Formats: sequence, structure tokens, C-alpha cells
Amino acid sequence: MKSKFGVALVILLLVSLMATSCAPKAVETEAPVVTEAPATEAPAETEAPAVTEEATYPPAPEFIELGSSISLTGNFGSLGNLILPGYQIAVEHINAEGGVFVKEYNTKIPLRLTYYDDESDPTKAVSKMETLFSEHELTAYLGGGGSSMHAASIPIAEKNKVPYLGISFALYKIHQQGYKYLFSPFPKSPNQTEDVFKILNEAIPEGERPTKVAVFAYNDDWGKEWGGLVKERAPEYGYEIVVYEENPVGVNDWTAAIQKAKAAGAEMLLTLPIFPDGSGMFKTMAELGWTPKFSLVIRAPEGVNWGESLGKIGEYVTIFPGWHHGAKFEGVDKLNARYEELYGRPADLLTGPAYACVQILAQAIEKAGTLDRDVIRDTIASGEFSTVIGKVTFNADGTGNVLDPLIQWQNGKMELVWPAEHATAPLIYPAPAFEDR
Amino acid sequence: MKKNLSFVIALVVTAALAAVPLFVKKDSLLTYLCMILLYVSLASSWNILGGYTGQVNLGHSAFFGLGAIATRLLWFAGWNILLAMLVGGLLAIAFALLIGSPAFKLRGAYFTIGTLALGQILYATVGNLFPQISSMPVQDLISYTLVTRYYLFLAVALITVLAATLVANSRWGLGMMAVREQEDAAESLGVNAFQHKLLALVLSAFLAGLAGGAFAFFQIGYYPQYPFSPIWTLDSTMMAYIGGTGTILGPIIGAIFFVVLKEVLSLNLAEFHPTVFGILFILVVLFLPGGFMGLWKRIKDKQQKKRESMAELSHP
Repeated sequence: MKSKFGVALVILLLVSLMATSCAPKAVETEAPVVTEAPATEAPAETEAPAVTEEATYPPAPEFIELGSSISLTGNFGSLGNLILPGYQIAVEHINAEGGVFVKEYNTKIPLRLTYYDDESDPTKAVSKMETLFSEHELTAYLGGGGSSMHAASIPIAEKNKVPYLGISFALYKIHQQGYKYLFSPFPKSPNQTEDVFKILNEAIPEGERPTKVAVFAYNDDWGKEWGGLVKERAPEYGYEIVVYEENPVGVNDWTAAIQKAKAAGAEMLLTLPIFPDGSGMFKTMAELGWTPKFSLVIRAPEGVNWGESLGKIGEYVTIFPGWHHGAKFEGVDKLNARYEELYGRPADLLTGPAYACVQILAQAIEKAGTLDRDVIRDTIASGEFSTVIGKVTFNADGTGNVLDPLIQWQNGKMELVWPAEHATAPLIYPAPAFEDR
Repeated sequence: MKKNLSFVIALVVTAALAAVPLFVKKDSLLTYLCMILLYVSLASSWNILGGYTGQVNLGHSAFFGLGAIATRLLWFAGWNILLAMLVGGLLAIAFALLIGSPAFKLRGAYFTIGTLALGQILYATVGNLFPQISSMPVQDLISYTLVTRYYLFLAVALITVLAATLVANSRWGLGMMAVREQEDAAESLGVNAFQHKLLALVLSAFLAGLAGGAFAFFQIGYYPQYPFSPIWTLDSTMMAYIGGTGTILGPIIGAIFFVVLKEVLSLNLAEFHPTVFGILFILVVLFLPGGFMGLWKRIKDKQQKKRESMAELSHP
């Protein structure tokens, strides 16, 4: 028996290996069949000349299907749980108006969002993306949160030729892969690393600026990209990097870096730690008595736990989160009101950009007048969209031309301090020393 | 007769699996099957050391990750994928040989903790050495086909199950089981425990390395650190325990049960699915010691006893 079983397995194994080696590298054949007639299809010749208008349009689908593989549990669960309500509220608001008008069908069609939890697991994200594509007549994907999840999901959207709108990743490298279907209305590393110097030069008179800069970065891809860009940009705007320290992700001891920064007389801190590292970093800074006049800390202070955990030590820190509920754009009040009803607070930082993704999609479908994914993709690429994060257009690499508001922790709250026309409070500069707070 | 039936069933199942792409045209289903085959390979390869030899290895993802990283780098450098995978498997063997000697000086829980630590060290090191996303060039996506990946996963799963079958039915396999049951007793009978454990580790590592290679060929974009994540070890270990360790079919059944149940729950229960899955897993552990294969054995034993008592009654 053993030998027969073995022989059979060996034969099948060889067949499998041969199939692997010889299988043609063809384009996927199982693209979903779009059953709706194309918009340009002429009415049947047998129809009487005085046909009613409805008769000339094909039957509209019941819904415009949007799909999202999103992390609701696991490492990126906290991001996904801020993004998802943005998608849901936007869909609810658009559907309350009857949906999106699609010229191809001469009617408004409601949106339907199907989402699956990918458990913050890139392989599960791939499987969920494929399920969404195979089981639903998807018009577009809406992304989850975190660059590793986007890195896994975006190629599936590209392979399936479905527009993908994603936020909550500032990593520019993803946009340099040549993806055609990726759109991200979210500030990227090049924006952040330039805007910080622009804002400071605009807000602070020369001679008072914190020109000596300390950069604490991770040696991960975003840290390297971001740190590299800061090194490039700083001299252009009159700043000098006096300390540049790199640590592996998860190393929560920045003591040596802080001592170096203090010794070098650094006046500004630029860093992008995850929450526990950022929290530890600031506690150590307070203990060692180094208070930068200005701190841009991306990522760690974006949740309410920053204020709760650090109290006065966490004050005056600034962030570039992509949006703030105080922004004075059309629709923000409506979004805040609904969010307040549901969660008892104004919309969270990632909720606005998520809401904007659905707005962009709805406007693109309306402009395109069709549910053809390629036409919608082209319309997103070339159009201008009015959203709760302001006017949005896209560059050829899918990055959005979006506002990059600066937020500052003041009195236990996140206040929008730049640009001035949206500000909910003025920028506090220089930050008072830790011991004087 | 019974052996012939098992042979025919195995043949039919494998032939049916080989024919799947002829009938299944949905990418979602093929992706799903790829995942099941990948986990069959991982759980079965873990079972060679953990199940047959009784050495609970919590650093299995290190071998999987080494296979993945070597394959990915070589494949992107233009190597044939099968050759790249072979090198990935050999790299996993090299690492197994390197750690085998010190690791097997530890016994029981200490060995388990030691392997967990090794896995974590590699996970952190790779994260620091290879921080950039590894992504397939966008022009290659045009020719990306899941059918090829499916056959590769199937081949690796077949190799793994075949290897486990051959080992289980060999003299070496008996030695491994003797080591599992009582290492000192086995040694007193002339079984070289170290050699048997090392062989199991090398084989387990090689097969996990091949599975890592198939993963590197399948996943379009990921961070190189990801295949080293401890989640791969934990999932494989759970699958082997759910199905039944120290058996051929156990890890296969465990992988199918685990992947299918998780998928069904996550598609229908959104964020509540981990809780429901956790409860179901606890129930399986509580009520099915020995996993599904253990349950099957108990049912068979009961039937056997029934038959014997019936026979006694008819021939007192």
C-alpha cells in the first residue's frame, strides 16, 4: 500500500510541478462579466420611434457596489475603526439623497458598502480583496489602514483593474510602483517634510525660528523615506540637521538620542514614533530637561490616549494627521453632527479623509456617467472633487493634492493651527519648558 | 482491501485537486484553496517535529520566512522559481543545522521557549535588515495568474504529505515516536535521540522553507519581515492540534477546518469573528483531546469493543 500511495503521490507531484513550470503566464481569464448593456448601446431597431425615455436606458443595477478589506481587529484595528465610520456615514448621506446619478441608466443608484475584517493580516487582505471582487460587481475598493495592508491590497486592485481609494498611509514609495488604479487623498512624506518648514517660515519671524533640528526616525521604510526627505529639504528652507538618530521599530529607549539632541542645542524635534515609543520619548525628554521649541510628532499623538497618558508633557506637540474636524469645508458640520450622534464626539482625524474617499468616488461616477471602472478611474485621475477635506485633485502617481493641516495639542485638545483660514486656535510657539507647564 | 481503499481515496482526492483549476474560475476560491494548501504544508511540516518527535517548535515561522526571503530575492533576480524555492529550502536546512545542536540541549518547555526566542530574533533582524516593501513590478501583474500559484502550492503540499507519510512509516519514524514517548527509554533501547530529533528538524525546516518559497511567489506585495511573523507558527501549531498531532491526516483536517471556519466567520460576523472563533477553538480543545483524529480513534475503538463484546456474547 505504502509503495502504491507513494507512486501515486509522486506522479501527481510531477504533474503539479510541470503545470507550475509550464502554465502560460496569461492574463487572468475570470474577469467578472458585466451584464449591463454599455451606455452607448442603441435601442432595439424594432422599437417605435416615439419610445418613452425610460425605454432607452438599460435597467439600473440595484446598488453601486463598494468593497473594503479593512482591519477591524489586530495591529491596525484602531485605524480601521476610525476609517470605517467615515465610509459608512458618507454612504448613508449620499443614499439619503437617493444615491448617485448615473447617466448611463438615467437614474440615481444607491451605494452599498461591503466590508470584511482582514485581521491586520496582509494575506487575509488579499483573500478578502479577491472575495469582494469575485462575489460582488464592484465599482471600487476602499482601502483599510496601515502601509503594509495597503501594500498587500493595492496590487490586487491593480490586477483586477478596479479603482482603489485609500488613506492612512503617508509612505510615498507605494505610489512609485506605477499603479494606475491607486488614488490616495492623504498627505504623503514629500508634502509633510516640506510643509513643516514652509509653515514655520510663514508663522515665525526669522531669527526666532528653531533652525537646529533633531530627527529621530525608525529604520523602517517610512522612517528612511521621511528622514531622507527631511535631510534634503531642511537646508533649502534655512534649517540645519544637528542630530539624526535611527532606531529599530519597537525600541522604546531614546535616551541617547535625546542627550545628543540636548548637547547639540537642537531646538526642533521631527519624529514619527508609534504610540508607546512616542510616549516614552516625551517622558524621557521631560526627565532629561530637553524641551524643543517646536515638535512635530507624527503618528503617536494622533489618538486621544496621548493626552490622557502624558498630560502636560504631551502639550504643544504638533501633528500632520491629514484632517481635523474643525476644517471649514462644506459638509464637515454634517459629518460632525452624525459622528457626534453615533460616538459622542466630533469626527476623528481619519474619518474625514475616509468620508472624502466616498465623496470623490460618488462625484467621479456622476461625472463619468457610467459604472465602467476604467472610465471612473480616468475621471478620478483627471477630475477635481469637492470634499470635507477641501478640493482634491490627483497627480499621475495617484497622490492627492490635498491640504496638509497642522494640528497642535493645546489644553488637552487637538487644535487646528494651520492654515490660518481654518484655524481653531493660533500656533503656540515656542513651547514652554516641561518644568514650567 | 482497506489499504487499497485508502490508496484509491488518496488518488481520487489528489486528482480532484489537480483538476480544480479546470472548473474553478473564481480568483476568490482559488486564493482560498491556495491558503488551505499552504497551511496544509505548514501544519504537516510542523507535525514532523512537533507531532511525531514531540518537540514543540514555536520558531517554525523562521524556516518559512527564510524560504520566502531567499526565494523572493532569487526569483526577482531572474532565477527560475523552482530553483529559487529549492535554495530557500536549503537555507532553511542550514539554519536548522545551525540551531539544532544548541536547541536540542534544551528539553520540553525550555526547547519550546528557545525556539520561540530564535523565531523572534530572526523576525526582528529581518525587519531591520530589509525594511522596504517587496512588491512585484506592476508590469508583471498583467501576467500574474493564480492557477500557476495553485499548482505550486499543491505540489508543495503533496511533497510535504508524502514526506510525512514516508517518515511515519519508516524505521526513522518509529525512532522519532519513541523519542516522543520517552526520550530516555528510547536511548536505552539504542535510539539516538539527537539524530532523530535533528532529522525531524531538518525535514520540517526544509518543507516549511519550500512553503515559504511558494508564498513568496504568490503574495504580490508584502514586507519581507511578514513571513517571519509568529502568527504563522501559532496558526500551524493550532491546526496540527485541532486535527490531531502525530498523524498524517490530522494537520490536513486541522488546516481545512481552521481556514474554512475562520473565513466563514470573518465573512459573516465582521469584528466579532475572533471571539466566536476563540470560543469554538476552546470547545474543540476541551471536548476533543487528540483533535479530530483522536475523536475518530475513540469512535473506532468503541465500535471495536462493541464488536468484541458481541462476539463474546455469541460465542461464550
